[in-house]
Amino acid sequence: MKKRSLKNYTLRYLVVAILVLIALWAALFYWFIIEEVYDNIDDGLKDSELRIMKQIKSRPELLKTGEYGIAQFRFIPLAPGDYSEDRHIYNSTMYMPYEDDDEPVRILQSIFEENGQYYQLEIYTSTVEEDELLHNLLTALVVLYLALVASITIINHFILKRAWTPFYRLLKQLKEFKIGRGQQIEKPNGDVREFDEIHRELQAMIMRSEEMYAQQKQFIANASHELQTPIAIATNKLELLMEESELSEAQLVRIDDINKTLQRMKRLNRSLLMLSQIDNRQFQTSETVIFNRLIREVLSELQILSSHKNIQITTQEQGVFSIQINRDLAVILMNNLLKNAMVHNTEKGEVHIRITNTELSVHNSGEKPLDPNKIFHRFYKDKQNPNSTGLGLAIVQSIVKLYPPLSVSYHFDKGHHFRLRQ
Amino acid sequence: MKILIIEDERELVQVMQSSLEKENHLVESASDFHTALDKIISYEYDCILLDLMLPGGDGLDLLTEIKKLKKQDAVIIISARDAVDDKVLGLDLGADDYLAKPFHLAELNARVKSAIRRRKQHGEQHISWRNMLVDPENRTVFIEQKELVLNRKEFDLLYYFVTNPERLMTKTSIAEYVWGDHTDQADSLDFVYSQIKNLRKKLGNAGADADIQAVYGVGYKMI
Repeated sequence: MKKRSLKNYTLRYLVVAILVLIALWAALFYWFIIEEVYDNIDDGLKDSELRIMKQIKSRPELLKTGEYGIAQFRFIPLAPGDYSEDRHIYNSTMYMPYEDDDEPVRILQSIFEENGQYYQLEIYTSTVEEDELLHNLLTALVVLYLALVASITIINHFILKRAWTPFYRLLKQLKEFKIGRGQQIEKPNGDVREFDEIHRELQAMIMRSEEMYAQQKQFIANASHELQTPIAIATNKLELLMEESELSEAQLVRIDDINKTLQRMKRLNRSLLMLSQIDNRQFQTSETVIFNRLIREVLSELQILSSHKNIQITTQEQGVFSIQINRDLAVILMNNLLKNAMVHNTEKGEVHIRITNTELSVHNSGEKPLDPNKIFHRFYKDKQNPNSTGLGLAIVQSIVKLYPPLSVSYHFDKGHHFRLRQ
Repeated sequence: MKILIIEDERELVQVMQSSLEKENHLVESASDFHTALDKIISYEYDCILLDLMLPGGDGLDLLTEIKKLKKQDAVIIISARDAVDDKVLGLDLGADDYLAKPFHLAELNARVKSAIRRRKQHGEQHISWRNMLVDPENRTVFIEQKELVLNRKEFDLLYYFVTNPERLMTKTSIAEYVWGDHTDQADSLDFVYSQIKNLRKKLGNAGADADIQAVYGVGYKMI
């Protein structure tokens, strides 16, 4: 579900709440007004009834008014019978020549006895105007509602936007925040206490994280350093031991196996140390390195590997790829990328290198795609190659990260493609 | 040759000392800054192996002292720090070489011999073994005055063997010395096999007395 912005969120609830409030208020108001209006009309009708009844005494001929004429009343003589003298008032419609239509009217109906004859008196009064009043009232309410919503929207837009500005500024800084760079979060201006609190807490949290991050980096570096000497002692002792003449072949082979394991540990440790040195920015100096030339140098170093696996290497130079970079790191970068292309290749496979001014791509044969999200992670390993440290591409990425806008990406399309872009 | 090992790890000193003594070097050691300084001032050495992290001071300061005293001793820095700056600084301060821990004993031998040879301007510039004469400066090999042409890797391989004659060299150590970082592959030991086969053939054809022998499956020895 797509989430709403803070502004729209409050607006949505306000609009619904106001609609409900206005509707309730309108219903109550309407009911109240209607009561009042009918009360008034009914009073008028009753007053007319009273006056007509008084008039009948002096002018009995009025009883002959059988139809509504100029007068808004009529008498209907009732068939002889027993009627209770009562009165009721109701709404109805009646044809009005002026409007040429049936119009709402309110009619008072009462039954009375005059000289032994029961009559029914009907008095009407037009309620057209009251209906119009209701109509107008409804229109007014709709206008009021729209005006309220519009003004709230506008207030929301301008006032809330202004009030929340420090919040959005904090959010923007958080988005751009990268750990390990000693970045600070700016204190928001404005006089909202909560934002100052958020800023204070964020700042404290960042300080803690930065500290932890630095400690962790230092720990990896120290651990790798401290391991070097014990590994050196163990390796060298084994090498001396292997030179002793009284050893049998089986013993020698077993010692060599231990030695090989130690060498693996040594490489792993060196790679970790290299990673932490890159991450700690210990490679400071930089120069313009032309990768076209660098690739030729690295390829000649890797020649033993490529010829051993019968790998066909082709280079297509369509431009000059050069960047400002530390030379040692550039060598490590290309070495790891190209070695990776050869090691994770098929027998008699291919490596194709394409160089343009802005891009350097290395493509090699391969059958199964690798996970592009994990391939640059530390210790993401090809299971077929137990000797791989799983750190080569992690080192590539660490180097690339040091030199923005340089970037490296992987995709699979009939083989593995690695692309360096600047 | 006289060698001074300046290193505070006693076990590492022992093992380095045993290995260097096999090459008929006279080895002394110092385990802290001040003992080391005393020895450097009092005696002459052909080569000093210097650890950078020492009790009582920084190895680089010791290096500065050696240079101040205008000593002719070759200095090889041996460090676990392996920081780029240390390496550059050490070499700038006049160290002859830099060897990162952990290293192979055979590599230490090769480095020590190279460093001493480079220091001795008027001494023997060639390394000879049997009827073979290896000139590391010009990267040439002569067998009874006849030049044997080797490619770059073959020369490195031969040089590694002649600086460690009659000693067992493991395949991993050989692979690392000749192909450096690219030896983390399962098949790297196959390279060693095929390269040594080539080199043996060339040596045999050129009439060298020396031979490279396989020692079971683990390594080779030059005899």
